[in-house]
Amino acid sequence: MAEIKRRDEAPKPEKEPKKTETSASGVSRREFLVGSGAGVAGLVIGGVIGNQVIGKPAAPAVEAPAAEAPAEGEVSLYKAGYNLVFDSVQCTGCMICAEACSEKYATFLHPEETANVVSLEFARIRPMRFQYVDVINVCSYCNLYEWAEGSSEFPCEAVCPEDAIITVPEGEGEEGYYGMGYKWVDREKCLGIDKCWRCAEICEDQFASGMSFDPIDRKAQVCSRCGGDPECVKACPEPGALTWVPAARNGRYFANHPSDYAELLYRKIYNHVREL
Amino acid sequence: MADLFGITGKIARVDLTTETVTVIEPAEEIYRKYLGGSAMGAYFLFKEGIFDPKLDPLGPDNLLQFMIGPVTGAAPNARITLVTKSPYNIFCASTCGGHFGSELKYAGWDGIQVVGKASKPVYLAVMDDTIEIRDASHVWGKGVEEAELILKSEVLAELESREGMIRDADLNPEWAALRPPKRLGMHAKRLAHVMAIGPGGENQVWYSCVVTEGARAAGRWGAGAVMGSKNLKAVVVRGTKGHKLADKKTFLALVSGIQKSERGDYFWRSYGTAGIGANSAYVEDAFPIRNWQWCSWADPHVKAITGPFMDQTSFVRKVSCYGCNLHCLYPVEVTSSDPLMDGTMSDMPDWEAMGMVGGNLGYMEMDGVDPDKPFTGSVKDQAEHLAKLQYTTFIHDDNSLDFIEGGANIALLMELVQRGFIDSGDLDGIDLQWGDVHAVDELVKKICARDGIGDKLAQGTYETARYFAELKGKPEIMNYSMTAHHYGQPAHDVRSPADKNAMEYVTVNRACAHTGGGTAGFKTGDWAAAIAGQNVSAAQNSLVHCQFPAGHWAGSRIDLIKAATGWSDFSDEDLQLVGAREYALSRLFEIHIRQLKDPKAEWDRQVPPRWFNDPLPTGSQKGAVAYEGKPDVLFNEALPAYWKERGWTEDKGVPTLDTLKKLGIDDVAGTVASEHL
Repeated sequence: MAEIKRRDEAPKPEKEPKKTETSASGVSRREFLVGSGAGVAGLVIGGVIGNQVIGKPAAPAVEAPAAEAPAEGEVSLYKAGYNLVFDSVQCTGCMICAEACSEKYATFLHPEETANVVSLEFARIRPMRFQYVDVINVCSYCNLYEWAEGSSEFPCEAVCPEDAIITVPEGEGEEGYYGMGYKWVDREKCLGIDKCWRCAEICEDQFASGMSFDPIDRKAQVCSRCGGDPECVKACPEPGALTWVPAARNGRYFANHPSDYAELLYRKIYNHVREL
Repeated sequence: MADLFGITGKIARVDLTTETVTVIEPAEEIYRKYLGGSAMGAYFLFKEGIFDPKLDPLGPDNLLQFMIGPVTGAAPNARITLVTKSPYNIFCASTCGGHFGSELKYAGWDGIQVVGKASKPVYLAVMDDTIEIRDASHVWGKGVEEAELILKSEVLAELESREGMIRDADLNPEWAALRPPKRLGMHAKRLAHVMAIGPGGENQVWYSCVVTEGARAAGRWGAGAVMGSKNLKAVVVRGTKGHKLADKKTFLALVSGIQKSERGDYFWRSYGTAGIGANSAYVEDAFPIRNWQWCSWADPHVKAITGPFMDQTSFVRKVSCYGCNLHCLYPVEVTSSDPLMDGTMSDMPDWEAMGMVGGNLGYMEMDGVDPDKPFTGSVKDQAEHLAKLQYTTFIHDDNSLDFIEGGANIALLMELVQRGFIDSGDLDGIDLQWGDVHAVDELVKKICARDGIGDKLAQGTYETARYFAELKGKPEIMNYSMTAHHYGQPAHDVRSPADKNAMEYVTVNRACAHTGGGTAGFKTGDWAAAIAGQNVSAAQNSLVHCQFPAGHWAGSRIDLIKAATGWSDFSDEDLQLVGAREYALSRLFEIHIRQLKDPKAEWDRQVPPRWFNDPLPTGSQKGAVAYEGKPDVLFNEALPAYWKERGWTEDKGVPTLDTLKKLGIDDVAGTVASEHL
């Protein structure tokens, strides 16, 4: 019988855990990251929101086996397999995800300018209402396929003339904002919407509409999945509407134009054919 | 000017005749006095001279205001209030949910005022500071759903639009060979919000409303007709500037507290107002059945109007307004064996719809069975009854008609047919029998188009009754007009002591509003409490936030205003004053535009005769009449006492100059008041 491998299981340790430098809390940054995703017993006190496991380092009372740390530069298959999934039947279009996202990144990137302002324009996730359906518009993490398209990059990454859209290798980057093999925009390199919109254009041309531009320095913004702990998922009030789950690796099969998606939802929910 | 927080200090004034847009910048003092929304709207009705009795509500000089308040924007449960002189020649301050209010604040405005009349159909495109008057001939005549979607993509396409930049060479050769770029540029986002009218508003049906997101409406008092009279099809808003707050941290903490509290509120989170059906409905004996001839069925097993049954039958989603966790709107797809209705997209119905275009039109009984007989149908029959209700909701919404006044209007006609006062010959051949959805459908189409008899019926319930009373020479027809202050009574009766009190409809500042507040005070004769309730309700319409989560807001409302605006000394008393100002202004407005010499006889006593003449025939409150059958006590003791408590004269209910001075509005309303004292 063929061995069935579940993607949502933690990778089994095959060798002795690598000794790594430990942080103040007694758990290394890497262990923390891997542990938080894998939900290894003893290492993580699990708070569960939706299907998302939120890791908190526990006091290492007993020696717990740590998950295997991936080799340098290698993206953990396990974490990379996570994706944002939304259920348009459960979503009510209340915009709380967008407010949470926008607030987080406005404060991170422009703390002074936004000290007194609440705006949705910094949100990487943005629900759009098409009357009776709501479409959650967010980057789906589409990948090109090497065998067909000559590359395995993200399409926005592939067309960026400045290499400003980068994939931050797992374990690197500032805690809570990026890492885990997720997308980030290098704002020093990005030319801004007034000079270049190739990333947004190719996204809308062939995939969805996951790029947006912030209103202050007009640079590209794209969902970084908050480095593996998405703020929007934590903020969402509707059970099951927005979840962070081990799902298909290539997001291109989730991705649709907002208006195309709305048409699909009209078909699905109301049995109506509409042109939007 | 000092930095403004919460408010933007700017109201756009659009003159459609001259095609100009100017900016009004009221002093911060004015905002503190009126906040925004309905109270601020009432202030402008005085300031701009809209109280002139000769001013035609459907003429170019009328002022239509889309007003929001200091917390509208980043706060949850945002609404917008439309204030104008109603086609019924009364005060109109009608609120509406959705995302439009927040988006308007994000665009940097505290309101939009429209005057004049465009020479051809137009719509307003508000993109932050830019306001354009654009041609709308391509959407004129379309229903609100279609018009909204077209205008939304039009405005967005232009905002987003950038020419194609990607070239084949930007792609890998293999990729370019498979899918060369279409070079359409950017075009996909749809972030604007729209308020629009349908054919009902275009043809100036008096009770037409303004609709957003397909099913949310500034429903009452005919703001849609005023919009139609100005040839204004819609307003589209896209705002990117955000909401400026004095103390963002505190504000967001309060918002999050309100939202968390809402999450535990499973009354709203289960069925919205359809949940009232399950809880009280006709058990309180105050539900409109066949033009209020009955207020409960003999058989409590009529369940098509209950939340659980609607959910089991048809709810497919739940929809929130901005930042709200109560999601009280449930879209449905109508399923019926009748092809007229089958497949229609509609919503719920909500409480008012299930009453006014449900029970009131005789939809919920089996053919030929009166409401005082046992219900003999099956669950499938109940599902068909629900379908009729949902379909009638849809035709009102899509044509932008108020289904409360619309339901009252059609139910009146049905009762006149039932009693033999009129027949199909009077209705252009339509045989209008209780429960006949096809006849209702035909009639609503005629009313929207103002075709034939529809032209007479388009002026609402009271005028319909008057028309037939004169035509037939039978003044008793007026007894069947279920209108207070000439406007249709919503789906809460006052005969049953379990629901609303008659004083509530008599005193509320917007004709026959069911959201005026103060019920408990009116029931116990505690006028101060009743007035406080009314003032809070008026202040909510000025802030502007929804009344459904009022309980969740109650402890944080003042702190939220402080955190938004930085008015550190703003108190509950100030909030009460806002409501008191709105009540004084709207009372004077109505007395003056109608030039009432004896307001009590000409206005306050204009309530449905049925309240006192027809005791409830069935149900838990069988035999009850309004105000214990003592209209003289109501109008000669209670009403003067209420007026006195408000600081108005006891004979006419006119705010005294002293009261106006205390409220700080003698400068705007003093002259008008002295004419009527």
